[in-house]
Amino acid sequence: MSDLTAMMVGDRDVVMSCRVRLARNVSGFPFVGRATHPQRREVLETVRAAAGPDEATVGLVGGGRVGASAAESLAWIDLAALPKRDRQLLWERHLISRQFAEGDSPRAVAVTPDERFSLMVNEEDHVRIQVLRTGNALREAFDAAVRVDATLGSRLDFAFHRKWGYLTACPTNVGCGIRIGVMVHLRALRVTNEIEKVKRAAKELHLAVRGFHGEGSEATGDWFQISNQRTLGVTEVGLLEEFAGRIVPAVVAYEREARRVLLERQRTLLEDRVFRGISLLRSARLLGLDEAMKQLSSVRLGVCLGLIPDVALDTLNRLTIQLQPAHLRSGETGIETDDDERAARARVTRAALSEPS
Amino acid sequence: MAAPFRPCDHCAKPAVVHNTVIVNGQMNEVHLCAEHAGAAGIQMPGQAPIHQLLGQLAQVAVTRPRGPACPECGHTFHDFKTSGLLGCAACYEAFATTVGPVIERAHGGASEHIGNVPARADDANQRAALLQQLLRELETAVSAEQYERAAQLRDRIKDLRPTASARSDGAA
Repeated sequence: MSDLTAMMVGDRDVVMSCRVRLARNVSGFPFVGRATHPQRREVLETVRAAAGPDEATVGLVGGGRVGASAAESLAWIDLAALPKRDRQLLWERHLISRQFAEGDSPRAVAVTPDERFSLMVNEEDHVRIQVLRTGNALREAFDAAVRVDATLGSRLDFAFHRKWGYLTACPTNVGCGIRIGVMVHLRALRVTNEIEKVKRAAKELHLAVRGFHGEGSEATGDWFQISNQRTLGVTEVGLLEEFAGRIVPAVVAYEREARRVLLERQRTLLEDRVFRGISLLRSARLLGLDEAMKQLSSVRLGVCLGLIPDVALDTLNRLTIQLQPAHLRSGETGIETDDDERAARARVTRAALSEPS
Repeated sequence: MAAPFRPCDHCAKPAVVHNTVIVNGQMNEVHLCAEHAGAAGIQMPGQAPIHQLLGQLAQVAVTRPRGPACPECGHTFHDFKTSGLLGCAACYEAFATTVGPVIERAHGGASEHIGNVPARADDANQRAALLQQLLRELETAVSAEQYERAAQLRDRIKDLRPTASARSDGAA
């Protein structure tokens, strides 16, 4: 299998990652926004006890990794006691939401060592189950999320209403309380000015289109999170099938077609952007985040089209996280000014993308 | 005459939303571009449905500034309109007539859950109903200064709430 064909597996050329999130509340407590700090602490202890220190939960979310060792069990992170930079680090890794990273309310997140699962307690809802996977592996993520939900649901009373389904703090999440989403890289559609068409089509299908960091972030770059908005009057499996069977394949095909057209009709323009991008990333001494993301996007397109054979897709995917501010600051000491940060970003980028000697 | 250009408070884009907000008696002007207005939860054409829907219900709030409160948590319709969030599970019953239509519009007209049901649904529904009843009794007992009765009720409420110790007892 050639490198290019390999990238098509799991639609990794277009789909960066996928996510399934379930919102749940524990019956008998007010929702988080209305709960007092002692009540939030009680919710935290209740959910923590239900999730257990047992490896079972890790086994559940890790697919075939049942029987993980104790060292691989859930790591509970107390957000209220965590320094701001570390909270930002978790947010940059998409393990928690921005809202969850801020404030001093009692809350915690449990994370598996492979970071493919997180359990937020006391975000907008008492419980947010989140399963992340690289590439398009929605069915796998869905199965893992449902298994964790079933396990927690057998140990906790989730707030549930016969008519409205799972009750959530925000009525837009009632019913299944599920969000199915994919992070897609639509660089070619951006170049061919077809992003607006995608957004319009998404709106008609009741889908939300957001930026790299989800809710509240602008969809102005080339990375988009597409997720369902309707959660009532639909079944979990129905939504999964619509997403995995219809929506994602359509978006992937649309972007691939735009890439093919670019290669065929505007090859010089395309190559110019791709090679300028890689040259800049390999030589810059000061690199801002926006510029880095913009050039990474062009380079990623080049790699997916086979124009830059010596750069791996995984390297680029990792860089989109490693170049975020809190990651740079946790990796190097002595970063104080913006220029320090930009210099560090340039160093990390050059090291990751250095040409083979 | 066109309005003078005014940048957004958070970026260089032109502000499209101009609000005056009063916080702790202090009047502040807020100027936001479409994106930051959206991020701040301010209703914009084509924004998230909940904000449009709540905007459509503004009239209700004008005529009844605070509205009735949820008997269990004290959340008012005004609180919901401000935050977009409900206070507790009982709010769904307390505000059924006003929030119900909001939910239906947000979900494309759907009004019935057809998805999964939690393993302990019946158990949970019964407990929640009983809990609600006991909380109401507790309120009555406290206001009537029946402290012994209130203490008994508190114990029963505590037992009903799914605490960590109750979990391990139940599992045994």
